[in-house]
Amino acid sequence: MGIDSMEIDSMIENIKYNPYSWARSWKQKKGKGVIGYFCSYVPEEIIHACDLLPVRIVGRNAVATLSGAHLQNYCCSLARTSLDMALEGKFDFLDGTVFVHTCDTMQRLSDIWRLNAGSEEHFDIVLPARLDGENAFDYLREELSSFRASIERSFGKTTDEDLRRSIDIYNRNRELLAELYDMRIKRPELLSSEKLYLIVTMSSLVEKSIHNSLLETQISDMKRSASPVGLNTVDEKVRIFGIGSLMEEWGFLQMLEEAGATFVDDDFCNGRRYFEQGITEGDDPIMAIAKRIFERPICPCKYKVSRSRVQEIMKRVQDAGAQGVIFFQFKFCDPHAFDYVPLKEALERASIPSILIEIEQGSVSLEQLRTRIEAFIETIRG
Amino acid sequence: MSEEGKKHYVKIRATENMKKLMTDYYIQAKTAAGTGKKVCWITSGGPVEFLIAMDVIPVYPENHGAMCGASRTSVELAEVAEEMGFSRDLCSYARLDIGQAVTAGGPIGGLPRPDFLLCCNNICGTVLKWYEHVSRYYDVPMFFFDTPFIHKETREHAFEYVRNQCVELIEFLEDQTRRNFSENKFAEVAVKSVQAVDLWKKVLSTAEHRPSPLTCFDAFIHMAPIVTLRGTQDVVDYYRLLLSEMEERIENGISAVPEERYRLIWDNIPIWYEMRNLGKLFASRGACLVADTYTSAWAVDIRIDEPLTSMADAYTSVYLNISIDLMVDQVLSLIQRFKADGMVMHSNRSCKPYSLGQYDIARMVTEKTGKPVVIIEADMTDSRAYSEAQVRERIEAFLESLERM
Ligand code: SF4
Ligand code: SF4
Repeated sequence: MGIDSMEIDSMIENIKYNPYSWARSWKQKKGKGVIGYFCSYVPEEIIHACDLLPVRIVGRNAVATLSGAHLQNYCCSLARTSLDMALEGKFDFLDGTVFVHTCDTMQRLSDIWRLNAGSEEHFDIVLPARLDGENAFDYLREELSSFRASIERSFGKTTDEDLRRSIDIYNRNRELLAELYDMRIKRPELLSSEKLYLIVTMSSLVEKSIHNSLLETQISDMKRSASPVGLNTVDEKVRIFGIGSLMEEWGFLQMLEEAGATFVDDDFCNGRRYFEQGITEGDDPIMAIAKRIFERPICPCKYKVSRSRVQEIMKRVQDAGAQGVIFFQFKFCDPHAFDYVPLKEALERASIPSILIEIEQGSVSLEQLRTRIEAFIETIRG
Repeated sequence: MSEEGKKHYVKIRATENMKKLMTDYYIQAKTAAGTGKKVCWITSGGPVEFLIAMDVIPVYPENHGAMCGASRTSVELAEVAEEMGFSRDLCSYARLDIGQAVTAGGPIGGLPRPDFLLCCNNICGTVLKWYEHVSRYYDVPMFFFDTPFIHKETREHAFEYVRNQCVELIEFLEDQTRRNFSENKFAEVAVKSVQAVDLWKKVLSTAEHRPSPLTCFDAFIHMAPIVTLRGTQDVVDYYRLLLSEMEERIENGISAVPEERYRLIWDNIPIWYEMRNLGKLFASRGACLVADTYTSAWAVDIRIDEPLTSMADAYTSVYLNISIDLMVDQVLSLIQRFKADGMVMHSNRSCKPYSLGQYDIARMVTEKTGKPVVIIEADMTDSRAYSEAQVRERIEAFLESLERM
């Protein structure tokens, strides 16, 4: 099932303006179920193995209104705009929603969602906040098994074979995304930042195997245009590393490129944090999924005695040859706001300039941001 | 108005004992370095019994945060953290604590340096990030005690996970103190903790009497020992004293609020810098805040026969670690037990696990009981986010509506 470059572009356009239309029409065509989820820690493979389509809920670029009856204005806009959409019935195509334990906001949003906006089935996976040690691992494995049991109760039994097949498809997706990233680190001009994050975001909005063939086409297209001919004709863009949760301000990404800069790598949860680290298959697929959750780069909501997020990110910033770092965060997002300080300090020690951009979905003033970003890029250019 | 509120106000005598208890405790904590005792910073919902049993001095930054709030020194401390880059939208306890470590400001000249940390996320995820900072700042180890959130009920494996962490915590403490954990000592501490908790519950229950001998504003002040030092004899003695004073008040017909007319429930952490004024405002209208969802958080059940097991359960099911539906159940039972006429909710921008969901809780409570709820917007210690006029107006309007009911 090949996908050609033109199709890629139209799929991307579609995702950009209408993130869920693909899932809606897929459901109509196939008559299968769709499950909404919020966080990259959701074990999508388990959902996929039940022959369901997991789609990530990403909020939207509009001022929150209806959710004001449930969430105070000091709650992050991701939660508020997503709840808005649910209250408007925009998620009526969902057969269920899965929440995992991450931050305090998500934890409460899960209850509010279930009580007010709930799709038919509601699942909570109370992941441990601690991701090391045998006790946490045993708990995590049990929690994943119990999620599997409850989703099977609602949507039918699966076998370990089904689950392994899904793991393969997901692993393939991770490999391809990693390859795409590696190519871009070397030749960022081959793919714009905007298109890059649309592609990664799309990965969590369409059926994985289709996304795999899309990535195959995209990568081979890039390989062709990466031929040495014309190698030195492009302007060198300033290389930026991005840190935050979701990067889906498409206008901002365009603006960044216009200002002569591009993201070469990141720690976004619809970026590298989404696909980093595959699942090593063992006999027990649930165990294998639990292992990945334990070993992948941690998000600021999680804790590991043995692991410093700061050091890991610093290494990746350096490996990517980044000249500057943009923190792109949601206002009122506690975990990221806390981690900002040690990260910023480590960057200062390494003499890497950084800038903090806090946004609220629906009230981003691109013009104001443009001035700040241009000034930031200027200082890097020196 | 305040004159009227003051007229029959009878001071709680035990307050002096509590002040002394807490002062002695802080002196001991601040001079620990010379005595060879270790100091451990612990979150308000953390299992302190283990520390007491290991002869470690627990220090509660949140209790200190409340003191800074009440003494109105919190803003200047929070500003120090903000200058370091911590967002003004973060929990103000965390911000002011980060600031006090740098400047040693606040009413007691800063907290003593920790030797290690015990962070338990049964109250929020913020404490994890906050203690990570403290751990880096002082370069001291931290034990993270992870208590899975309860959406419906505690599941066996979650329970198992917490119980196993109790064992890990013991090992951690043995390592840090270079002492052996003694089960006997621990059992003794557990017994005292249970006694203290029991007495504390009885103190809070005296407010069931009409008129009530105490308000939740009194409870906020008198909860400091149960939070910080439960498991010690001093605390048992103290609450025995407080309880007898409350019983004496009931006998002599002394009420906390002169001419009690309305009985209300308070939700969320107090607005520390404004508590006194609010207390007067309510009192002047004959409204008594008879119970709250906050101080009862320390009324957890521990069974002496199986301390570890029951502790795992108790520490996991505290008020902030349960779903909105379960919270509503608890509020309903408070309303019923204390025969309350309504509820006052402090929407506290510092504390998301406490505040997000309040709108739904308010609606559900009113639907189920017909009792009115008022929500006031503030912050527990950051007075910059507080509009006194607006809050007064809301409360006045609410009290007027009670009048008409
Ligand atoms: S943006 Fe931050 S606060 Fe909001 S849901 Fe995500 S992690 Fe939580
Ligand atoms: S977020 Fe809330 S529960 Fe957590 S430390 Fe702050 S005030 Fe306490």
